[in-house]
Amino acid sequence: MVDLGRGAPQGVQPDPIAGTAEAVRNAIVLDGVSFSYPGGVRALGQLTLSIASNRVTGIAGPSGCGKSTMLYLLAGLYRPEGGKILWQTEPGASASGRHPLAMVFQKDTLLPWLTVSENVGFSFTFNRIDQAEAKSRVDWLLEMVGLSEFAKAYPYQLSGGMRRRVAFLTAVAPFPSVLLLDEPFSSLDEPTRVAIHQDVLTIIREMRMTVVLVTHDLGEAISLCDEVAILTRRPGSVASRYEIPFGAERNILDLRQGRLFLELYGQLWRELSRQLEPGSKRSGARDR
Amino acid sequence: MTAANIRLPIPLVQALLVVSVLAAWEFVPQIEWMSAFSPVFDPFFVSSPSRIAQTLALLLSGERETPLLWSFAFPTLLAALIGTALGMTTGAAMGLLLSNVEWLSVALRPFIIAVNAAPRIALIPILVIILGPTLGAAVMTAVLVVFFIVFFNAYEGGTSVPLHVLHNAQLLGASRWNLMRHVRLPYVLVWTLASLPNALSFGLVSVVTAEIFTGTLGFGRVLMVAMNSVNSSLTFAVVFVLSIMGVLLVVGAEVLKRRWLHWWVQGRAGG
Repeated sequence: MVDLGRGAPQGVQPDPIAGTAEAVRNAIVLDGVSFSYPGGVRALGQLTLSIASNRVTGIAGPSGCGKSTMLYLLAGLYRPEGGKILWQTEPGASASGRHPLAMVFQKDTLLPWLTVSENVGFSFTFNRIDQAEAKSRVDWLLEMVGLSEFAKAYPYQLSGGMRRRVAFLTAVAPFPSVLLLDEPFSSLDEPTRVAIHQDVLTIIREMRMTVVLVTHDLGEAISLCDEVAILTRRPGSVASRYEIPFGAERNILDLRQGRLFLELYGQLWRELSRQLEPGSKRSGARDR
Repeated sequence: MTAANIRLPIPLVQALLVVSVLAAWEFVPQIEWMSAFSPVFDPFFVSSPSRIAQTLALLLSGERETPLLWSFAFPTLLAALIGTALGMTTGAAMGLLLSNVEWLSVALRPFIIAVNAAPRIALIPILVIILGPTLGAAVMTAVLVVFFIVFFNAYEGGTSVPLHVLHNAQLLGASRWNLMRHVRLPYVLVWTLASLPNALSFGLVSVVTAEIFTGTLGFGRVLMVAMNSVNSSLTFAVVFVLSIMGVLLVVGAEVLKRRWLHWWVQGRAGG
């Protein structure tokens, strides 16, 4: 676990299963899930995927293969046409009063009439929580990403990178058990994106969340994830899965300069290229 | 420097425009053949800035037994402000409600559009029968007019909330009520306040119209008296005061909008 040297506020409960074999059990299982949009566009076809608890699972694939659709299904914003989504109850989740699920959307979700700290604490407006605790959580999160001095700023006063950070903090503020990330940093330039990755990873590890990250940036997938699944072309299903062996404590700037990063990037890119080939529909759900 | 590159300061251009119009208004009707050419150039019908200024001075001073301006201005202003406030509140509330409850919106929208299309000024006689020739009738006329201006704006604001913003709040635990209170309402308020200058202008105009119909105390009554006595100077004096009142109300509304919605104004300016 990353030692931040700063005390997490009350509410960040130590995970009773962290570091044990139980820690990698499945939190969510998608069993043959299919989905079509009104009008008949089939986005997902028989997608089967298990998402490990307390890990970051990346989802990459060709454009339009149903990556975001999968997240919307997990969030309950869409209903699957076929198949099942099975949720495992997390030990201690209800006892620690964690929020079940939150999502960071690709598009901006900041509320322009609220300040940065009000945006981050937005969920506390309707989820009853002690005011002092809410404030300490917000302050802690802002400090983690170096935005404390912008606590009273409005979204229009922030840069693109800051806005994405605040959107991320808004989602994690209620300490969700499951966090869905839908290409959250795709609008940012590469240096800003990499700078945010370390903050994101630190918070994810600190809060011990199950994270599903949809991205088209393979570098981002390798930097943040413990496992990456590549989807086939539409209708999407799992083509192959890759274990990312960097462990929980990783320095993203360092790992991006290592040979392993480049090797993994090459492997993922080759698989993605196979899926991008015209007429390809290669699914074998192979584990690497 | 070419002629196209010469730019005069805007206040100077505005002052020149005002002086030109006033000078033309003052002196063109004094040319005899011009007033014979059309009633538009006849001083009897169009008066002149100097005569209007004299009438205004009388209205302000109360000399020669002229009723004071304030005794007419106050009821008109009061009715316009109350009517606009009520129209805006009810219009915004209805816009918020319908934008949040889709089936209700689908059910009521055709009726609202039909009522909006009807000439609401034609309802003034009915209001007079119900409420009598009172301040209440003038207020209700303003409410009827302002309500629809604001309602359509507010409804548009409520339905303009991006779906991903609603989804985000929903996933963070917002109930249907929370969504309406914490997400849609601010959007509705923005769009409502955006219509404030228009609402105030229309509120003022509808109150004066109602006063003309009902004969209640206010600028409408003065206009009726001016029309009956073919006093164009008095008509233009009242129109001038009403314009000034309209401008002040709109400027006040803009100041409030900038103060309350600084995040909106600045956010748009910053892209």
